[in-house]
Amino acid sequence: MQVTPLQFEVHPSSGVPIYRQIMDQVRALIAGGKLATGDVLPSVRQMAAELGINMMTVSKAYSKLEADGVVSRSRGQGMVVDEPGCVGSVSDRRRELQPFAEQLVVRGIQLSLTDEQVLTVVRNSQRELRETQSA
Amino acid sequence: MSEPVNNLPVIHVRGLQKSYGRFHPKAVLKGVDLTIPAGTVMGLVGTNGEGKSTLIKCLLGLLKPTGGEMRVFGEDPWNLSPATKARIGYVPQEPSLLPWMTVRQQLAYAAAFFPNWDAKFAADLICRWKLPWDERVGPLSLGQKQKVAIVLALAHRPELLILDEPVASLDPVARRKFLESLMQATADGERTVLFSTHITSDLERIASHVAILKDGRIVVCEELDQLKDRVKRLRILAGQELPRSFAVGGALRTEINGRSALVAMATVEDGLVEELRTRWNADVSVEDLNLEEIFMELHLD
Repeated sequence: MQVTPLQFEVHPSSGVPIYRQIMDQVRALIAGGKLATGDVLPSVRQMAAELGINMMTVSKAYSKLEADGVVSRSRGQGMVVDEPGCVGSVSDRRRELQPFAEQLVVRGIQLSLTDEQVLTVVRNSQRELRETQSA
Repeated sequence: MSEPVNNLPVIHVRGLQKSYGRFHPKAVLKGVDLTIPAGTVMGLVGTNGEGKSTLIKCLLGLLKPTGGEMRVFGEDPWNLSPATKARIGYVPQEPSLLPWMTVRQQLAYAAAFFPNWDAKFAADLICRWKLPWDERVGPLSLGQKQKVAIVLALAHRPELLILDEPVASLDPVARRKFLESLMQATADGERTVLFSTHITSDLERIASHVAILKDGRIVVCEELDQLKDRVKRLRILAGQELPRSFAVGGALRTEINGRSALVAMATVEDGLVEELRTRWNADVSVEDLNLEEIFMELHLD
């Protein structure tokens, strides 16, 4: 599988630095099954040209992903997606997920959904994601 | 100096002062400190009349500073050697071209001054921007003149490129093309760029560093990413009415309205949010700010 820079969407005027937007999107592509182990990320030059951003910003995102163990630099190929591994303890990873859960819960209350109905939505999207990954 | 030349910052400014007028001098720059290492793409922002152009003109030796110290490639800008001048490209706010020449003649004229002139690169840019080779420069639109001036500044492949509001008179499409060309021209990572602008979204797209000029001084000069990671806004909704004396240490600006408060922070220390939550029985959210918002927070007090 091959992703192109067109699958990335950067908003330079967001409060989130561009390098972090790219990191988040690479992680999301991996989680969504659009990037699998061994796939190659677009080159720094390609990304910078297509997205109209500084090459240093792309390099920074890639280096940080490498440091996080998400990708590794392969000679002649560029950045290659690593075997999915777990970084951090379970409690660390839970804490990282917490803010998203808060958003979900609040939105659920606003939409007058019961706790059980909210959980059904979560289970459904988990199942859908598993299905697209295995397909 | 004992340091090797290539480790020297390209631009080094300490305590730069500039006043205008002999009898009632008006101080514009009141002690500017600015260091720009090689390979940096630095965006310079500041409100109108803050002295961005004055600073740039001092760096180029077009204005004589009133005080302070400046080095560009290790030389005093007021006495730049021709060899050093050839390493610098400059796009002024108002392009100064020779109106009776055609675009082609203007390019040939400028090329004669520079041993490193890259005619192919210049021709590529002229085509890319659809500039008319054989029309006279005088009647061109301001945006087109600006583009010609940019080609002239880029074509000798300068190591240091200084641009004063380069995109102010360009439309969004041309601005984007200009930014792309600028990125291409600096892609080897060895070129240094200083550009002033008030269009923060352009700066955010291409700059690695940002410098903010305020009240005659540089109040922020750091990596753009670091600045965005550091400056945050806390949105607080407390369990009870907040006292008027409500304050958070190190706040840039605080706005209180009944139970809610907005607090802009230069940095958010670990544990601060938790402390506010328990102390005021409050919901606290931390907001990321873009450059325009950071700029506003610095100017709203």
